[in-house]
Amino acid sequence: MNAFKPLTFLLLCLFLSPQAYAEEPSVRILSPADGATLDLMAENRVKYAVVPGPRGDHVHFYVDDDEVAVLRQLEGSYLLGSLLDGEHELCIKVVNKNHTPIGIEKCISVLME
Amino acid sequence: MDLQNLAYALTQLVHNFGAVAVVGGALLGRWPLVALPPIRRKLAWLVLAGWTIQVVSGAGFGTISYAYYRQFPELHDIAFVALLVKVACAIAGISLSVAYLRFQYAWTEPRRERVWSLLILLGVTALSAAAFLRWFA
Repeated sequence: MNAFKPLTFLLLCLFLSPQAYAEEPSVRILSPADGATLDLMAENRVKYAVVPGPRGDHVHFYVDDDEVAVLRQLEGSYLLGSLLDGEHELCIKVVNKNHTPIGIEKCISVLME
Repeated sequence: MDLQNLAYALTQLVHNFGAVAVVGGALLGRWPLVALPPIRRKLAWLVLAGWTIQVVSGAGFGTISYAYYRQFPELHDIAFVALLVKVACAIAGISLSVAYLRFQYAWTEPRRERVWSLLILLGVTALSAAAFLRWFA
């Protein structure tokens, strides 16, 4: 019976490890909503919340596939620079310490008018 | 242990020692403790090896990323310029150290010293660019 104690301990360590408790990696763009129309003359901010996961480190922000910012805060907002009128794609990608996207990302499209 | 992190860490380790070789080797070449040509020649080999290691390990970072994610690192404008600076320094560093090994005995002492000074400058520039590459990507 005592032989099972180390095994039980190892299993508990495995399942109670921080990784087992860690949230699923995710990116949420809290605002604006996907498909929203934004005022060209207004100060537009993109609010986001990121769970990087064990392999993620920070996030990159993209406008129309161009990386425009490195965001090290996992929750916050980013002030959009001036954009031309028309539709634009905004993306936030989780990257690792080597700045490689790890496949956790969220994209929305907005219309600037 | 995460194999991916281990691969990055080992590549970083090699890259760091490459940086030590290019800067340290060039400093000792410029101001040697014993100014004997054979010793300077060994230092030139060390600098050449250092730059080669820099190139190979630098490419290694991208290779690991591609192996795991089928993507290369995505670099912001400033970081991309820093990477280009590093690559240019590596090309120049390799060319100069090869030239030194080839023409060491034909060159005058002032010329040899100029080459070592240039190698120091290249090493310091690449190290400085590395900081921008790391934090502006």
